[in-house]
Amino acid sequence: MNELHQFIQSHGLALLGPQWWPMAWTLLWTLIKIILLITPVMICVSYYTLAERKIIGAMQVRIGPNRAGFFGVLQPFADAIKLFCKETIIPQGSKKAVFFLAPSLTLVPALLMWAVVPFSPELILADVNVGILYVLSISSLGVYGVLMSGWSSNSRYAFLGSMRSAGQMISYEVAMGFTIIPVVMLSGSLSLKDIVASQQGVWNVIPLLPMFVIYFISVVAETNRSPFDLPEAEAELVAGYFTDYSAMSFGLFFLGEYANMILVSFLGSLMFLGGWLPPLGFLGFIPGIIWLSLKAGFLMFVFLWIRATFPRYRYDQLMRLGWKVFLPISLSWIFLTGLGLHLFGKV
Amino acid sequence: MVVDIIFYAFAAVTALSAVGVVSSRNQVHSVLFLILTFFSTAALFVLLEAEFLAALLVMVYMGAVAVLFLFVVMMLDMDATDLRQQAMNHLPTGILVGVVILVELVVVLSHAHSHGEHGAVATVSNTRAIGQTLYTQYLYPFELASLVLLVALVGAVVLTLRSRSKGAKRQNIGQQVARVSAETVQLVQRKSGEGA
Amino acid sequence: MSRRKRCNLFNGNQAKGRNKTMTLHHYLILSAILFTTGVFGIFLNRRNVIIILMSIELILLSVNINFVAFSHYNNDINGQIFTFFVLAVAAAEAAIGLAILVAFFRNRATIDVEQIDSLKG
Repeated sequence: MNELHQFIQSHGLALLGPQWWPMAWTLLWTLIKIILLITPVMICVSYYTLAERKIIGAMQVRIGPNRAGFFGVLQPFADAIKLFCKETIIPQGSKKAVFFLAPSLTLVPALLMWAVVPFSPELILADVNVGILYVLSISSLGVYGVLMSGWSSNSRYAFLGSMRSAGQMISYEVAMGFTIIPVVMLSGSLSLKDIVASQQGVWNVIPLLPMFVIYFISVVAETNRSPFDLPEAEAELVAGYFTDYSAMSFGLFFLGEYANMILVSFLGSLMFLGGWLPPLGFLGFIPGIIWLSLKAGFLMFVFLWIRATFPRYRYDQLMRLGWKVFLPISLSWIFLTGLGLHLFGKV
Repeated sequence: MVVDIIFYAFAAVTALSAVGVVSSRNQVHSVLFLILTFFSTAALFVLLEAEFLAALLVMVYMGAVAVLFLFVVMMLDMDATDLRQQAMNHLPTGILVGVVILVELVVVLSHAHSHGEHGAVATVSNTRAIGQTLYTQYLYPFELASLVLLVALVGAVVLTLRSRSKGAKRQNIGQQVARVSAETVQLVQRKSGEGA
Repeated sequence: MSRRKRCNLFNGNQAKGRNKTMTLHHYLILSAILFTTGVFGIFLNRRNVIIILMSIELILLSVNINFVAFSHYNNDINGQIFTFFVLAVAAAEAAIGLAILVAFFRNRATIDVEQIDSLKG
């Protein structure tokens, strides 16, 4: 305390002077980088909702939305304006503070994880050397938004849906974590840039194909998408844990879910499909970010494809799949990867 | 300077939310305060350059233990109001004991000293340092810790499993998948107008 | 690797250097506050099992902060290894404690610790 007092006394107004200026500039520059990252992500999220409706419509031999603007291009804006202008209904007897906090608890972790995603060897917001660990830890925070929203709605079915959804999310998190471990073992580093760089010779999907499949199915379950969307199934539980949310609160949930989907598509293409590396060496003149977007776009398309194709899993079948099938397979594959690394002399 | 502000901010949040855990009227609020305590402690760990432990804290404590607390508190309909009334009777004694313990701890810990830097420090990342020590020097305690976790896993299931003795239908997935259409579907040709 | 070097494994951020204004005592006092709050919680809520379990978690957390602070200021990785084990044991203990609570609550419909006295002689 004494040092602080002396510090203020000796420096006086110069506190706002030169030694603060570089730090303020760093802060401003970081804020600009964050805005430059989040704005395209948000635009991508809103057009992903349009793409979902058009693509699933095409798979079901019907036209998706085409009224707002040519080919429905202005539909996301129409949705946003509608959500803004609707009245936010607060159920009677709900705990208001937690009720308002819960949608943010879903959206904020989804956006936080974007900080460590490298779009090319130079384009990354936070170049930490524990990128994968950061992603795994923040993704386990996504459970709280679901739990809090269901509990604070003061409604039986919302609560039931949120309990089911939370149970599903924490079960598949374990399998997802275990599928990432062989990737880390093969590349020897937790940083996403090093993981992509280590795929220079062969993409990770070729030696680790079962892990890629389990990773993809686990993230479909993590984001509560079909065929694992019993907790928010329209026919069974109205809308599950976000039944009582209207207007912009619901919009925040929606944004969070789609941002999560795009994020895990990017992470899957970075960890398994080679990131920004071209499939054949001579195609390297095309910039890396185009390759990354193509691969992530393909995974996003598979999300929609699965939704239009498969029937829904019942909850006990879902839990059985996560614990009795994925967990043993991914655990034994970790062991096999270790064995393989040892036999090939890399460890 | 900035690091000091960050430390004081997170330390204040940790202390205040810890007080919120023990003094909340609603049990769910207590668990939420506990989650906030864990989160700010993880931030302090990052300040102490132990980023692997910070991520581990978030994953294990916040992602699993706190979720377990939240599930139990939400699903068991507990009436804690009369317990809280009786707790308030002990408040003066509790504060006295707390202050005594705090003063003793502070007096003892002010005499703690650190050894400072030993000499040449290797520049390996925190994760690699932990890995290199844990699997070589501490291999036996590591295996014992995994055994402790196994016992906890089996124990939690054994304590709470209630098997339904009769009338419970089970599924045999292998049997279901091994169905052959020839023995389940029968195609019948009928003239239009005739019944089954 | 020699034993001395093994104890000196520390993550490097040598360009930045370590900040000299936050000393070990700041972290120790914070951990003392957390410990006291945990003990206070047990003392106050001694009939409510959930709060007791949460106070135990606070006590273990304060011990973790202590270990990591010493590990940082002594340049010794062993403190963080201990934190690892404390974390594992705390998670196991929380799981078993809550399982016992659930099993007990199903039979008695109360979480009052004073009611767990069926075996009194």
